[in-house]
Amino acid sequence: MLWYKAWLETRWRFVFMLGSILLLWLAPQFLPFFGFRLPPGVPASRAWLGLHLGSILLYIVVANFLAGSGVNSQTTYAATSGFHGSMLFTLSLPVSRRRLLLVRAGLGAFLTGVLVAVMAGYTLFQRPGGASAFDALEYIARAIACTMAVYALSVLLACVLDEMWQFYAATFCWIAFYLLQSRFAVLAWLSPLRGMSLISYPVTALMPWAPVVASLALAGVFLCTSALVLQRKQY
Amino acid sequence: MNLRINFSSGVPIYQQLMEQIKHAVETGAIRGGEQLPTIRKIAEKLTMNPNTAARAYRELEHEGFIEVRHGSGAFVAERGASSAKAAGIRRAGEVLRPAMEQGLALGLSESELRRVFEDELSRLQDDSTAERRRN
Amino acid sequence: MNDIIIAADGLSKSYDGKPALRNLRLEVPRGSICGFLGRNGAGKTTTLKLLLGMLRRDSGVIRLFGEPVDSEASSIAARRRLGFVSEDKDLYPFMTVEQTIRFTRPFFPGWRRDLEEKYLDLFQLPRKKAVPKLSKGMRTQLMLLLAMARGAELLMMDEPTSGLDPAMTEDVLQILADLAASDGTTIFFSSHQLAEVEQICDRVCIIDKGQVVVDGVLDDLKSDYRRILLVFEGTPPRELAGLPGVDHLRQRGRTASLLAHGDVDALVSRARELGPGSVEVRPVTLKELFLDHVRGE
Repeated sequence: MLWYKAWLETRWRFVFMLGSILLLWLAPQFLPFFGFRLPPGVPASRAWLGLHLGSILLYIVVANFLAGSGVNSQTTYAATSGFHGSMLFTLSLPVSRRRLLLVRAGLGAFLTGVLVAVMAGYTLFQRPGGASAFDALEYIARAIACTMAVYALSVLLACVLDEMWQFYAATFCWIAFYLLQSRFAVLAWLSPLRGMSLISYPVTALMPWAPVVASLALAGVFLCTSALVLQRKQY
Repeated sequence: MNLRINFSSGVPIYQQLMEQIKHAVETGAIRGGEQLPTIRKIAEKLTMNPNTAARAYRELEHEGFIEVRHGSGAFVAERGASSAKAAGIRRAGEVLRPAMEQGLALGLSESELRRVFEDELSRLQDDSTAERRRN
Repeated sequence: MNDIIIAADGLSKSYDGKPALRNLRLEVPRGSICGFLGRNGAGKTTTLKLLLGMLRRDSGVIRLFGEPVDSEASSIAARRRLGFVSEDKDLYPFMTVEQTIRFTRPFFPGWRRDLEEKYLDLFQLPRKKAVPKLSKGMRTQLMLLLAMARGAELLMMDEPTSGLDPAMTEDVLQILADLAASDGTTIFFSSHQLAEVEQICDRVCIIDKGQVVVDGVLDDLKSDYRRILLVFEGTPPRELAGLPGVDHLRQRGRTASLLAHGDVDALVSRARELGPGSVEVRPVTLKELFLDHVRGE
């Protein structure tokens, strides 16, 4: 029944994020209504491209929002400072910490994947840069894979931090990483952020394998570390 | 039977319960051959520990005051009810009464009188243990 | 048969070099209700968390239900047979009463639907109500329900009645006494309320600064310990403190107050030899026992 707890814990977050994404989807339809118009000669797909630049941020927010360790329960942001009493109830149940993590992180990863797919799914309808349907599917797949690195880091942070601090720490980490990748070419080559981005895709249509592989490896490392941390942690 | 336990007193609870049951028999609130409430009932009614209640019953049984019949519960022993002890208690009251009246006449308060009584009682016990040790 | 349900020996735990528990020894036999007393920070919650596997001990051994608890698997096996009520009684804020029960049920093969229904009715818990909207009393009741309906052989509780009004407290005590009487459930709970411990416990364990200072059957402790008040002509003689069986000595003017246990009669005869003007022997209440042991001289 751990999945039941994980679902009840995340369902409103999932619905909220799904709603936000659908709203973003619809935004280009509304923009002309509010008087926003593209300059003459610019194709409509460019509007989508602009929207897309914001989507990396959205992937990070989604991953962070749905990540949990299975031990600390998420509540509303206002109530997360300090101690979670329900944690002691969870730990008193006859279930291993590894299982707590596995079920919670697993469901969170699945829901994150769904949301990323929905968000990236617009490429199927609005082929930016004249990409094929296969290209679009490829893009969705790599967006999910690269988001998993972000997600797994948030899971690791959730094992040791309160929810509010988890959010700040994750944001800080990715900003720092973004700054570093602009200085070091190797990091940029492996960067999950690059893997999530649409930039390379309409231009080169080359699948960025390095970030995909690096992200999945990173996600694995983060999750294994989470399991170790949880196993050793004292409450 | 109206049982009342003072949980915060220094007197062991099982002893209080024993005294109360004995008292109930002496006053005739419960008679020889009659059934006593089950331990569970006592624990529930007084909100007290069932093991402590069971201990009181065990001690009473040991003293021959009650009989525990397996499966049917605890009963006041016939001879327990009509024991010489009840008569002894009555007799002791008659003997002590004039002494207490004299004490009050000397101007002692009730609590002072009680302290003198207990003090003398413990001195008596000391003397008897000293006696035993000497022998 | 394993008649010692909780057994801990040589239990030590420190936080950042500061000792919280020192060589703690604890035994709770089957069917008993044991009150766990101590001041704030004495180590009560630490002990409970060690028993539940939430903390790792520095040294010592723990046995629950007669089985050693030395790995996560053995801890899980023990947790399947016990119920825990935490001090703040927090449950998941995103669940209703009904959902909390539905979530907890499958973890325990021996779950008893009849008890679940019985306590839902008895407590009149609103099934559809969200946990954060419950009062602390209701959350306590829900936690008790979750602990009892699983058919737990052992109930561990951290200050079960804290934050409850007197009527609710009495109800909880009633349920605990009933549970011990009807199912023989072993109950181990920490508390600050001496009155409730005196009322429903047959055993007490008092800890101070991470060590057990008093442990035993409450009624035996009451028979065993005595307060001896001695009044002297002048200052009470120093020898008093060294007499066998004296736990604590307090002096005020010409009066000496001894807390003693063991052969009190022998002690009184020895004290008489020191020539006091008056000797008074009084029974000792749990409160006196507690205060004398946890207050530094």
